[in-house]
Amino acid sequence: MPTAQIALTAMVNGLAIGLLLFITAAGLSLIFGMMDVLNLAHGALFLTGAYLAWWIGGEQQTWPSLGRAVVAVVVFGAAAGGLLSLLTAPLSRRSHLEQALLTLGIALVAADVLSALFGDDVRATEPPAGLAGTVTVAGWSYPSYRLALVGVAALLAAAVYWTVERTSLGALFRATVGDRDMVAAVGVDPRLVRGGVFVLGSVLATLAGLLGAPIYHARPGLDTTILVLALVVVVVGGLGSIRGPLIAALLFGQVESVGRAVLPGLASFLLFGTLAAVLVVRPRGLFTLAPGGRR
Amino acid sequence: MTGINRRTFLGITAGLGVAGLTGCGSSLGATAASGGDSNTVKVGLVIPQAGVYTPLGVDIQRGWDLWLRQHDGRLGGRRVTTVVADEGEGPQTGVPAVQKLLQNDRVDVLVGIVSSATALGVRDLVTSARRLLVIANAGAGAITGANRSPYIWRTSFTNAQVAAAMGRHLAARGVRRVYAIAPDYVAGTEAIKGFSDAYRAGGGTIVGQSQPPFGKTQDYQPFLSRIQSSGAQGTFCFFGGAESVAFVKQYAQFGLSRTIPLYASGFLVEGGVLTAQGAAADGVLSTLHYTSELDNPANTAFGQAFRAAYDAAPTVYAVQAWDAAEVLSRAVAQAGAVDGDSLAGALGSVGVITDSPRGPWSFVEQSPRQNFYLRRVQTRAGAPVNGVVEDLGPLDPRA
Repeated sequence: MPTAQIALTAMVNGLAIGLLLFITAAGLSLIFGMMDVLNLAHGALFLTGAYLAWWIGGEQQTWPSLGRAVVAVVVFGAAAGGLLSLLTAPLSRRSHLEQALLTLGIALVAADVLSALFGDDVRATEPPAGLAGTVTVAGWSYPSYRLALVGVAALLAAAVYWTVERTSLGALFRATVGDRDMVAAVGVDPRLVRGGVFVLGSVLATLAGLLGAPIYHARPGLDTTILVLALVVVVVGGLGSIRGPLIAALLFGQVESVGRAVLPGLASFLLFGTLAAVLVVRPRGLFTLAPGGRR
Repeated sequence: MTGINRRTFLGITAGLGVAGLTGCGSSLGATAASGGDSNTVKVGLVIPQAGVYTPLGVDIQRGWDLWLRQHDGRLGGRRVTTVVADEGEGPQTGVPAVQKLLQNDRVDVLVGIVSSATALGVRDLVTSARRLLVIANAGAGAITGANRSPYIWRTSFTNAQVAAAMGRHLAARGVRRVYAIAPDYVAGTEAIKGFSDAYRAGGGTIVGQSQPPFGKTQDYQPFLSRIQSSGAQGTFCFFGGAESVAFVKQYAQFGLSRTIPLYASGFLVEGGVLTAQGAAADGVLSTLHYTSELDNPANTAFGQAFRAAYDAAPTVYAVQAWDAAEVLSRAVAQAGAVDGDSLAGALGSVGVITDSPRGPWSFVEQSPRQNFYLRRVQTRAGAPVNGVVEDLGPLDPRA
């Protein structure tokens, strides 16, 4: 295989993985950055989305079953987000540690419940017909599903970006970060905004689980793997913005893909090595929304 | 006061653990079964009940329970009490579990252990307690290597042995250039070494090798590209659990399975992972010391009983536990005692086991010398199975 093709494969792959990582991490960043809640149950939401994809579609998704699965993960994600918002509300004035303990507890309970419901075997699901094979263009071949994932995830990422940065709803989200009392003063209940961010963030996590199911395969332990990746992206990207996690996720997609291809011997150090390097140069992350609301 | 409470608590816990076992069949009296009583034997079954290896633990327990159920709940004439302890994912949970079985439950014999790190970690505990441990899975060579404990025996395999069977076969078949890939932990390293040594000895060339970080690799694309550009005629690999599903699926998704056949250490496609791999596993060739499709009278009877009891196909893990019960029963009967020294001595003279579902095998350096089978993934009656292609003959544990 010629070098150019290898490089192309690695870069497209990095893009697919990176965009999926962004969808996952965006929710975590929104909830942490805007609502100041460290939601360690985020990985469990992703895994639940992946299990739902398998439960509804089985080992071989069809287009109708995929449609049902999308509805199911959105409904579940919204409900879970609402519940998480209610559960963490009493702790909103307390320290991050106390919030982390609560959400970590929820994550552990969720992992055991998932294991009881779906067993401990790997639950793999194949994408529907038309996306299951390989695309070949001029001798270069690449899995169709990952190519489609690039498109879908890019659309989703654009929608999230637009919602948060360009709509009045997003303005409300951002205003709540900057000055909660002022938002209340203009007649909006900050608790509703809080709930809204939780719902949006959780739906993104379960959707990412659905999209990632054919690549990562639902299994016990995937929740923590994904949570760590998402936390790394959020820490590097900086809190509260959408642009930060997007750039960080794309960076890590390339690090995981191109980096491992170029430096296979350092594969296990690349992720956290990059994290360390970024933190040395920019301790507050690449893009951090300052508490005052200024970038 | 606290002492009594603690003992009562432990009694209840052990009782619950035993009661949770289905299929032992026998009445499980409250008497402590250690040592003195010549009619009973207390066995500690150490298996993963949580974490990534849980499916293997389930299969080991099924093999163990099934053997006991078919033999009146007795090993060598003694009524068996089984106490199950959770091995977890590694030594940090596995070693305390073994310690609890030895010290609190005072078991006579230990059976099980999936993780090699745990098996190596309990070596000194078991040796100083002078109790017998029969390993029903863990495959690190060192467990029964030069520094082995006389009390630790194994009914499973060595990682190198399974891989060497494939190395020898590919070299003999005239596949000249192979790429080897396995995770960067002890089982992966031993698999690559076992394969490479046997393959090179037969005249083959390893054109490249990779060891992706164990447990930290979700995407194998960078490695798949290296395989594609290496000019290999085939890929040898070893992966287990979730990694085997990811690797096999991605190998097919990136189009490699059409041009570069996949050859594997049999665990890649054994048990529950095979179902999860789906069509991507079709045609994968692997070597192992067992497959549910083996055609011999012992396996036919075993397979029927297993399917009737659990509504699932038997796996190599279940057979390893089944055989652990079989050799233990013979040793207990012959030794007339259940202390480690007597049992170890008896195991040394147990000879060739001729009625195992896996075919004939015997202990060489406390680990099986056994037949290996070339297996091909195919669909039978709507379910994926590993069909037998060829009997590759016996291999020593130190292959």
